[in-house]
Amino acid sequence: MWWLKEVWVIDPSQSLSAPRDVLVKGGQVLEMASSMTEEEVLTIAQGEPVETINAKGKFVFPGLIDVHTHLREPGQEEKEDILSGSRAAVRGGFTTILAMANTKPVIDNRALVEFVLLQGVRAGYAHVLPIGTVTKGMQGSELVEMVDMKEGGAAAFSDDGKNIQNAEMMRLALEYAKLTGLPIISHCEDKDLAGDGLMRRGVTSARMGLKGIPASAESVIVARDLLLAEETGGKLHLAHISTTESVNLIREAKARGVNVTAEVNPHHLIFCDEDITLTDTALKVNPPLGSRGDRESLIEGLRDGTLDMIATDHAPHTQSEKTRPFAEAPFGIASLETALSAVWQYLVLPGQLSLDRVIEAWSYSPAQRFGLSGGTLKPGSSADMVLFDPDFSEVIDSATLVSKARNTPFLGKSLQGFPIMVWVEGQLVQRNRTVI
Amino acid sequence: MKWQRKDILAIEDMSVEEIRHILHTAKVMKEILMRPIKKLPTLKGKSVVNLFYEASTRTRTSFEMAGKVLGADTTSIAVAQSSVSKGESLYDTAKTIQAMRADLVIIRHSSSGSAKFLADILDAGVINAGDGQHAHPTQALLDIFTMEEQLGEMDGKKVVIVGDVLHSRVARSNAWCLQKLGVDVTLVGPPTLVPVEMAGLGVKLTHDLDGALPGADVVMALRLQLERQQSGLFPSLREYSHLYGLTTERLKKTGKQSIVLHPGPMNRNVEISDDVADSVEALIERQVTNGVAIRMALIYLLIGGSGNVVA
Repeated sequence: MWWLKEVWVIDPSQSLSAPRDVLVKGGQVLEMASSMTEEEVLTIAQGEPVETINAKGKFVFPGLIDVHTHLREPGQEEKEDILSGSRAAVRGGFTTILAMANTKPVIDNRALVEFVLLQGVRAGYAHVLPIGTVTKGMQGSELVEMVDMKEGGAAAFSDDGKNIQNAEMMRLALEYAKLTGLPIISHCEDKDLAGDGLMRRGVTSARMGLKGIPASAESVIVARDLLLAEETGGKLHLAHISTTESVNLIREAKARGVNVTAEVNPHHLIFCDEDITLTDTALKVNPPLGSRGDRESLIEGLRDGTLDMIATDHAPHTQSEKTRPFAEAPFGIASLETALSAVWQYLVLPGQLSLDRVIEAWSYSPAQRFGLSGGTLKPGSSADMVLFDPDFSEVIDSATLVSKARNTPFLGKSLQGFPIMVWVEGQLVQRNRTVI
Repeated sequence: MKWQRKDILAIEDMSVEEIRHILHTAKVMKEILMRPIKKLPTLKGKSVVNLFYEASTRTRTSFEMAGKVLGADTTSIAVAQSSVSKGESLYDTAKTIQAMRADLVIIRHSSSGSAKFLADILDAGVINAGDGQHAHPTQALLDIFTMEEQLGEMDGKKVVIVGDVLHSRVARSNAWCLQKLGVDVTLVGPPTLVPVEMAGLGVKLTHDLDGALPGADVVMALRLQLERQQSGLFPSLREYSHLYGLTTERLKKTGKQSIVLHPGPMNRNVEISDDVADSVEALIERQVTNGVAIRMALIYLLIGGSGNVVA
C-alpha cells in the first residue's frame, strides 16, 4: 500500500486542486483525505506493508493519456517498438497511449488491432490502445471493418499521416463510424496545398529557401471536416491543430454544436517557425511549426477549451534519418519523455497555462472523448497515477532516454519539472526517472 | 583585415568588411588570371574537392580552374559515378572526405542548408556553390564584382532583379549582398514567383517591371525554369515574356545606360530577347572570367595560410 502524504492533488474529474493524503491499495485509489494519522493508515492497511512518501511540494494527478503516438510496430522497429515506446511513455508520465495506425503494414483489420493490443500487454508498462485506419491500406477508397475492429480493441479510426482527400469518403466514414461510437481522427492536411513543402510558408521559409506549406493546407481540411461532421452528426476529432484559422473555425463550430474535439501538440505551443534553422532537423515536423501569432492562438484555444486536449504526436525516427539535409530528413519529433516537462517549463511556469488545465487536457478530456478508463483519481478508480516534482531538473541525454529515438529539440538541454513516480493500475513502473 | 572564416556558406551572415575584402582580393586575382602564364605555387600541396550533386558546367569548371591556377590539387566527385548514386548519405560522404584529409570542399546540392550541414561535420573549409533555393554566394560576389567594374562603387545605385525569385538562390544571395553594400534592390515577377513573404529579405517587391525600371543602373534577369509552367506558377511563356521579358524597347524605360546581367544559361526570347542577349554577350563572358577570380580569392582566403596577402 502507498501513502502519499501532504501531496497536492490535481484531479479535474472531481474539480479538485488541493493538498491531500492519498492512499493506494490493491491497484486502486483507496481514499483521499485532508490529513491522516499513522494509526488511521495502519488500520486501513490491515497488515499490508505501507510505503510512505512525503510528497509535500509535489503534485499527484491522473496518469496522462496521449491520444496521438507513433510506436512504429509492426514494421519500423528500428525507429521504435511498442515496448520501447510504452517505456518512454511511463518515463514521461503517460499511463495510456493510443498508437497510430500508419505502421507497416497499416492497422486496417482486427487481427492487426489485436496484435498491437497484445504487444502492449506483453510490454506491461502503459496501456497501449490501437487506432485503426479509416480506409483499407490507408488508400482512401474503401472503409475498414470498423465494428469488427472495435470489438478487437480499436479506440478510434484514423488515416493519420495521409489525409483522406476525397470528401465523400470522409463523409461516409463519419456516417459509418456511428455504429461504433468511436471518433474519426482527421489528419487535417490538404495534400496539394502542402505539396512537398518543408516548413510553414512565411518570411522564415522564404529567407532560407525552404519550400513553404501554407497555413491553409491545414485549415481548408478543418473547415471541410467540420462541415461534414455537422451535416452527418458524426463524431470528429481533429489532430495536431496548428493554425489560428483552424482554432477560429473550431470555436465557431463548437458554438453551433458540432460533435468535434481537437488536440494540440506541445511543440506547436512552445516553438514557432522563427526557431527553425537550416540544419536543425529536430524541429522539422508536420504540421509544421506556425507563426508566433499561431502559437498565441493555440495557447488561447487550449485555455478557453476550443482545443480540448494536448497530444504529443510522438514521432520517433533514427538518428541517421534525421542527420540529413533539411529537405531529406523525415518529419517528426519524439516527445513522450520530454513533453510534460517542456509544457511545465515553457507554459505553466511563465503563467501561460495552469497545471490544472494541462492535466484536464492531457488526461480527463481524452478519457471522456475516447471512452477510456483512467483520467481520474476518484476513490475506487484504477491507480493510473503520476507523482510530479516541479523542482526536479534533468539534462535530456542520449544515455538516459528509453525511447529508441533521439529526435527531440531538447537533446542536450536541461528541463525542469518531471514525473518522479508513475503507477499503472497501482503498480509502480517508474521511480526517480528510472523505468522499473 | 584578418580572415577568420572557415567556410563561405551564405552572404546573409557575412559583414560588409568581409565582402569588401573578398572583392579586393578578387581584383588582385583577376590580374594574375590575365597573365600569360597563370600558375601560382601558393596552394601547392593543398587539396580541393568539388562535390557536385547537381549538374553544372560553368560553376564547377570555374572552381576547378580557380583551384588549379593557385596550384592546388583539385578533384571532382561526379555524383552519378560515385557511391552517392548507390544511396550513400551526405553524412557518410562527408565522413569519407574527412578521412581523405581534404583542405577544402566545394559543394553544390539540391537541398537548402546542405552546405552548412557539410561544414558542421568537416574540419576542412566548405564553399557553397549553390544549395537548393537557399544561397549561391559566389554568384552574388561575381555579380557585384562585375557591376562595380562597369559602374564603380554600387552604394546608392539601383538594381532590379526580375524573374522566378521564389525558387532562386541567385536572387536571395544577390538581395543580401547588394543591400549590405547600400544598393537599392527591387525584386520583380508575378505574385506566384514573388510572393509577399519574400519581403523578409528586406528589399522592395513589385509585380510591375515597367514601373520598376526607371532609374535602374542594373537589370538582372533570372533564368526561368520552364517546368514551373506545368506546376501552374504562370500560364504561358508567351504571357511571361510579355510581362517580364527584357527587350531593348523595355530597357529604355530605365532612362539611363543600364547594364543587363544574367546568371546563365539564358532562355532566349523568354526572359531575355535575342537582341538584348546578343548585346550583353560580352558582359556575360566578363562575368565568367570574374567568376574564376572571385573563386580564386575565396579559395585563397580560406586555405591560403595566415598572411592572406597576395604576393
